Amino acid sequence: MSISIDLLKHYPWLPSLKIYYSDIATQDPTAFIEEAFLKYPDGELEQRISKIFKAAFNNLEEIKDYKADELNIYLYLIVKILLFVLNNKPISNRVANTYSKQIYKELIEENEDASLYDICKDLKLKFEYLNLPFKYGVNLNKSQREILKTSFKIHFTDYLKLAANLHDDYRKLVHNALSEGYVYVQKKDLIRLLQEYVRRKLIVEEVKDENNIEKFRKNLLKIREFKELYGNILNNWELKKEDFEYSFKISFKEGSDLSNNFPPCIQDILRRIQEGMNIVHTERLFLVFFLHALNYPTENIIDIFSNLPDFDRKKTKYQVEFAKKKEYTPHSCSTLKSLNICKANESKDEICLEGYYSKKLDTQKKLSHPLFYIQLKQYRNSTKNKANKTKIEKKDER
Amino acid sequence: MSDNIFLKRLFQAYYQEKQKEISVVSSLEFREFGFIPWEKQIMIRHIGFESQKVLLSYLIDRGPKHVYSSGSLYLQPEAQHMENKQYQGCDLIVDIDVDHFYTPCKDEHDSWYCNNCETIGTGMQEKCPKCEKSKITKLNWICEKCLDVAKNEIKKLIYDFLIPDFGTDEKDMRIAFSGHRGYHLKVESEELRKLNSDERREIVDYLTGENVSFEVLGLGEKSQMIHGLSKENIGWSQKIMEKVIEILNRPKNEIENMLLDENLFGFTSFYVGSFLNYKDDFLDVITKGERNVWAIEGFGLTNWKKLLRGIVKLIGIELDEPVSIDTHRLIRYPGSLHGKTGFKVQEIKLNELDDFTPLNEMNEKLDPIVFKSKKKLTQKLEIVERALPITKIKGESFGPYVQGDIIEVPHHIAVFLLCKEVAKTI
Repeated sequence: MSISIDLLKHYPWLPSLKIYYSDIATQDPTAFIEEAFLKYPDGELEQRISKIFKAAFNNLEEIKDYKADELNIYLYLIVKILLFVLNNKPISNRVANTYSKQIYKELIEENEDASLYDICKDLKLKFEYLNLPFKYGVNLNKSQREILKTSFKIHFTDYLKLAANLHDDYRKLVHNALSEGYVYVQKKDLIRLLQEYVRRKLIVEEVKDENNIEKFRKNLLKIREFKELYGNILNNWELKKEDFEYSFKISFKEGSDLSNNFPPCIQDILRRIQEGMNIVHTERLFLVFFLHALNYPTENIIDIFSNLPDFDRKKTKYQVEFAKKKEYTPHSCSTLKSLNICKANESKDEICLEGYYSKKLDTQKKLSHPLFYIQLKQYRNSTKNKANKTKIEKKDER
Repeated sequence: MSDNIFLKRLFQAYYQEKQKEISVVSSLEFREFGFIPWEKQIMIRHIGFESQKVLLSYLIDRGPKHVYSSGSLYLQPEAQHMENKQYQGCDLIVDIDVDHFYTPCKDEHDSWYCNNCETIGTGMQEKCPKCEKSKITKLNWICEKCLDVAKNEIKKLIYDFLIPDFGTDEKDMRIAFSGHRGYHLKVESEELRKLNSDERREIVDYLTGENVSFEVLGLGEKSQMIHGLSKENIGWSQKIMEKVIEILNRPKNEIENMLLDENLFGFTSFYVGSFLNYKDDFLDVITKGERNVWAIEGFGLTNWKKLLRGIVKLIGIELDEPVSIDTHRLIRYPGSLHGKTGFKVQEIKLNELDDFTPLNEMNEKLDPIVFKSKKKLTQKLEIVERALPITKIKGESFGPYVQGDIIEVPHHIAVFLLCKEVAKTI
């Protein structure tokens, strides 16, 4: 089955793009970009692309003048090429976030289920559409009894793939209506999953070896319009970057740098914030409680959050201060595990995986709390330093 | 001749004689194989076979103590490094082994000895209760009761989860008695093969219920009232509430014992009393499901969660989590012999599962006790383990024994005791 060309113009990230625009798929990217600027000589293409980047750099929730026209297809492809040659993870994440949010908005505004149905088909998702919405539960928490109904159910394997990066607790399979292999999803939740699909499609893995893309970039920059566009984006980023960069001063604790002793769970959250990726609510809470427990100044904590795509200084300040007042303790390792925040296995961190030897109990013990990780690492570092010092002293004596 | 050489020859003879009966796993040529030989306690892995014929000649030639194959498919299963194997996907594997969970019969047949303070005891222990050191030597045994518990877990897995929730087709399921203390289940479907470890963890969480958040399912306190879960919500909410209703309909003394049971709920008698007083009202509220405000004297959120956690324990599957999550695990090859018992890893069809009794199976084709001698051969052994519990196989009981006992037992019992390394031939 192939989708309508109008749907493709609206959502150019769909797989059918390769069928409708097979000529582009086989074309050299430089030739394609040249052709695109020739096709749209009035500057509209550049303007609309610039708007996407500006919206992304300004943390806007929507892209003004998103249009479902043929230009939108060229725009999408050029944005992907731009992200590749920019080779900058924070930019890539910001654009992916903003663009995918716009797609969410567009899909929510679709009146008929037909488009969503066609999109799911085009993505080759295993799903079922029920003409008569199926009742799969009730919401009794509110004063009135809300019946939960939906027309969409998606096979659990596709659900798991689409929801893989969304760590919200309520998206876990165990908290969803699963029956006969299918997860019942509300339309807006399905659209949220598609938003995530689009976000991931736009994220370009940072290429470590710059030389690999340098040649490609050089060729593209020979195209005047592309060069201007590329330059403008970089200029805008430079201006905005300053806003983000005041932030990453993790190294606090009475003058000593603790960040090297942070456990992998915290390191992972910080890395993702630094790259401009979004983090889920539970991760935000954990980070705040954790840094409070180490007596980090509130302002420093707020600055860390300023790298998030949805940062709001006023709201963040209120929440960080509120958490400090309440003196919440950071989550334990077992809670972190159940919240999928624990990174012990992924990082293969020795301390997390093997724990430590307790002399008192004469047994190997697992870590139970991330704060203990810091203590343990500091202790190990200090004993290592002492040992090194003794070695040096002995050498000197000789 | 050492006992290991004797056992190795027996295993070789088995593979020679029964080669036509040993089943072929699907996509055999894409699976990695692993073996533990009799000579050394090492795993020889990264081996591939182009056909069942080549595999069988390997088994006949070497008669390994343990035989494993991967749940994963690789283009180069024999490559020494995982990154060179060209991973193609992995079947979903569930391992249910009574080693990992409590069964009451363990108090009768499992024993331990503390190497530190020399205390001895029975039951499931991870460390010595006296000196608290974990330097204990354990002797785990099997009986019909614990294998029944394992069988019930596998039935729960299939009938309460895989078929109704995951829509798993019976034709994709491969069930096998592990040859020792449990069962394996493998689901072979193209869709499941694509899942990575994180996605498999989600399935494991669903099957065990371990990371269920009752708050997400609807439990919460608003205006000093506790709002509970609803049986109308498909998924875990429904499972929990159906179980609660089922328990509430049981006789009072049965509910009382359950709630007091430390391994399940562990409530004090005060809370049990209160629960029993209000149980009929509670049942009324949750079956009508109009307002769903849960009110039992003394029960705040903490106690409700404790109750629900116990219910989840009853519903969830006791499985060995890493086996289902790790995509590079090897599992016992069906039809091979288990080196710790001498029993066959016996494949069973779903419709055979109910009647299957591994220690006393009447259907010869399904019988894992392959060394039962028709000529009633016996063998003389000396017990080398401190103490052995009763062993009941094929309806006959042997033991208990103590170190130094000289015994004469049927061939299959002798093989079992030798494989268990608790006796030696004389």
